[in-house]
Formats: sequence, C-alpha cells, structure tokens
Amino acid sequence: MNCEIGDYKGNMVVSLSGEVDMHSSPVLREKLLGVIKNKPPRLIVNFKDVSYIDSSGIATFVESLKHVKAYKGRMQFSELPQSIMDIFSFSKLDKVFEICGDLDEAVSR
Amino acid sequence: MKNSVTLKIQSHPRYLSMIRDVTVRFCIICGLDEETIGKIKLAVDEACSNVIKHAYHGDTSKEIVVKYGFRQKKISIIIEDSGEKADLEKIRGRDLDDVRPGGLGMHFIRRVFDLVEFDAKKVKGNRLLLIRRAGGKDEL
Repeated sequence: MNCEIGDYKGNMVVSLSGEVDMHSSPVLREKLLGVIKNKPPRLIVNFKDVSYIDSSGIATFVESLKHVKAYKGRMQFSELPQSIMDIFSFSKLDKVFEICGDLDEAVSR
Repeated sequence: MKNSVTLKIQSHPRYLSMIRDVTVRFCIICGLDEETIGKIKLAVDEACSNVIKHAYHGDTSKEIVVKYGFRQKKISIIIEDSGEKADLEKIRGRDLDDVRPGGLGMHFIRRVFDLVEFDAKKVKGNRLLLIRRAGGKDEL
C-alpha cells in the first residue's frame, strides 16, 4: 500500500493505492490519525488505485471517522473501485461514510 | 492429493498477500467466476488474520497451514493453527448496524461459504473448515 497526503483545491486529500490489509493498515492508521490531529475541516480519501481492502482497513476508517466527527469535520471518500464499494455496501458502511464519485464532487458538496 | 494444494506460512501479516495470491490462483484453476473469487480471497484472508490476532495473539513466529481442495464441484479450504482455541463469541462478528471498528471478518467469511465450522476433534489449536458448493450462496 502507498499513502500520499496532498491538497486539492484547498482540501486535504489522502490518496491510497495498492492493498490495505492487516499488514498495511497500521501504517494507514498512523498516517490518517496524524492528518486528523490537525483537524482539517474536510478530509478526502481517494481510493482510485486501491485494489483490495480487508476488515482491518475498514476498521481504520471507522475509527478515523469517529475522530473527525468528534471535532465536527467531514470525511469523504472518492473514486471507489466497484470491488471496494461492494465491501462497504455489504458492511452497511456506504451510508455511514460520505461517498463521492470524484474529487470535484467531494469538494462541491 | 487430487486437486489439492497445501500452503504453510509464518503467522506474520506480511505473508497474507501470499495467501491471497494462492487463493486466487486456486480458485481460477477451479473455474470460479471473478466475483466469487474476490469474496473467497477476502474470506480466507480474514480467517488467517483471525488466526494471527486471536489464536496466536500477534505472535508472528508461528505457523498457519492452508489446505485447498476441489472435488465434485465443491471447494474446501482448511485453515489450521496450533494456537489458542477459538473463542466463538470473540470472533462471532458484530451486528452490521452497530457501526464500530472491527467485528466484520466473520461476516465476510460466512457470506461466501456454505459451511464454516471449527473441527471439535482437533486437540491442540484450531482447524477451520470452509466449504463452498458450486453456485453456492451469493448474498451481494
């Protein structure tokens, strides 16, 4: 898994690629919580190049969302591949996270 | 030994990707469709993650054995460890409406396999038996 932190039109974006599993999710957790510590009003996670996610990856996002909500921030997901979307839907988390088609849709909301 | 593969790996999360790769290759050989293969890959990964977390309590020096078999259009996957006996209550999985970190692994396993059973006869450690019939359950 690779995790890059960047900016899109003044918004914090975490771009992920590769496989998010029990091995890589602790790294992801550390990066996300590091970003969240600065309380960005909007945090977008871009899944464009994510090929796999397991329950430990999902748990990392659920935990991160709780932190973001605690300071009334927003956490948005963009460009989820269908295979990843299916996992969020099955887990009934597609209604919990704010899921957007792409980065432009995310920033326009 | 007909139509079977055995994989023995160290209980380190870095090797889970190898288990996923072998699982996918075996399922392709068995002629399963892409969607089912994706679900089986996730389920086997979750079962092995459970072994590392719950049976071995994060000890990465132990052994996990994964046995794949395909007979009479039925795929069977057996996952063995020598760790602590599975506490079914601990790995049962949370209510999907109860949004909190964790508790999804068993749901991913049960959604694709027709049989999910721990072998009560195994004296030390766990033997998890996963079976999926051809055209088996499909909840998505």
